[in-house]
Amino acid sequence: MSDTNQTSPSVKPLTHVIEGRPDFAYLKVQLPAQETLRVEASAMQAMDKHVTMRTRLKGGFKRLISGENLFLNEFTAQGKEGELILGSSLPGDIKRLYLTQNGPALFLQSGSFLAASTGIETQTKFQGLIKGFFSGAGLFLIKCVGEGDIFFNSYGGIIEIQVENEFIIDNNHIVAFTEGLEYSVEKFGGYKSFFFSGEGLVARFHGNGRIWIQTRAMPPFFAWLNPFRRVVQKKRN
Amino acid sequence: MQIDILAQPANTITKITFAQNEEITAEGGSMVAMSGGLDVQTTTHKRGKRGIGRAVKRAFAGENIFLNHYKAERDGAHLYIAPNLSGDIMTHELQGGSLIVQATSFLAHEASVDMDVSWQGFKNMLSSEGLFWLKMSGTGKVLINSFGAIYPVAVDGEYIVDTGHIVAFDEGLNFSLSKAGKSWMSSILGGEGIVCRFKGKGTVWCQSHSPSGFGNALGRLLDPIVEHQQ
Repeated sequence: MSDTNQTSPSVKPLTHVIEGRPDFAYLKVQLPAQETLRVEASAMQAMDKHVTMRTRLKGGFKRLISGENLFLNEFTAQGKEGELILGSSLPGDIKRLYLTQNGPALFLQSGSFLAASTGIETQTKFQGLIKGFFSGAGLFLIKCVGEGDIFFNSYGGIIEIQVENEFIIDNNHIVAFTEGLEYSVEKFGGYKSFFFSGEGLVARFHGNGRIWIQTRAMPPFFAWLNPFRRVVQKKRN
Repeated sequence: MQIDILAQPANTITKITFAQNEEITAEGGSMVAMSGGLDVQTTTHKRGKRGIGRAVKRAFAGENIFLNHYKAERDGAHLYIAPNLSGDIMTHELQGGSLIVQATSFLAHEASVDMDVSWQGFKNMLSSEGLFWLKMSGTGKVLINSFGAIYPVAVDGEYIVDTGHIVAFDEGLNFSLSKAGKSWMSSILGGEGIVCRFKGKGTVWCQSHSPSGFGNALGRLLDPIVEHQQ
């Protein structure tokens, strides 16, 4: 990322701790002097007074329709090391990965991005209409490349799965996966299973790599909650 | 078969690792992720048994009438299952006795366990919570989920549990449904409605929260569904 700021990209892992796992996770980062962290809008909970925030418009149209916030905040520790506490709007887990130039890139479901150091470049990738509408991961994925820390969050706990050859994931439970894995959206089992198993469409991953899943998903929760809404009858004129 | 319970306690998930030919039956819609090497069959009831009558009973019982049977084609195949709502999961090992499980608390059972959906222990009284019950018998493991935390209550003598908070209980216990207070008026106004009186010796597993209580509390705050009349 050449357009970001004057500081050089971080190539050292950030000192941090994730507390409250797995249900109410929050992240404490010790930002070295002059270091910058890119953070999803509204994820900042608390920080030292010498940490400053700058809001940037990111990515424009793609980001607007990808379900991410249009704005990203950049937090910089001015003059000396500063502490920053971050969390997600949903109760759940936080996972940290350190990406390297030679290692595989990371694909994130668009709502899962929490923060990244300046050495990480994020690109919004269109999934194609079929995958996008039916995969549950959204029309866009965020591809993270470069060297540095990346933090992502979930609804519910995060479970890491080591994939060799093949793995099937309920589409609402995908959080992130490494480059080298390909997926297709398929029906679950035979036709009887597809219609009646309660699973519907699933994502079938091929290749070798790692996948992170979340232990709960929002759409089934809403489907359960909806019948509890009141019903109001109105006369049509 | 190895059963690992992960990410406890609020959004718990179960990882099941199979040896070849091992089988498990799980509630429809509970699959979160699975490896290759698992054969999946969706049936109305236990594989190999004619299940139309039982499926109708299950549909009537308000529970998803479809069950997914997973059979391992190789060692090491694995499956992750979880309920939709937040809460915990526990394993119960049956050794010849029977366990009565509240239908929405059922997650999965081993193939050696028999599930009967026609158990009608509470048939003479309509439960205020609209709850229905499954009878598990045989030998093997049953996986049960709760809304919130699960806690066991050892009954020796008599104990009273609100019906919305019952997850499961030993079938050896005697039970009857009754009002919570002295009169029906106080039971209904007090918000307790119908309770279950257990008698004898055995264990009742309870959940810290009632799904219908939470749903009603949230539902009141949401925008209403508007139905237009002609």
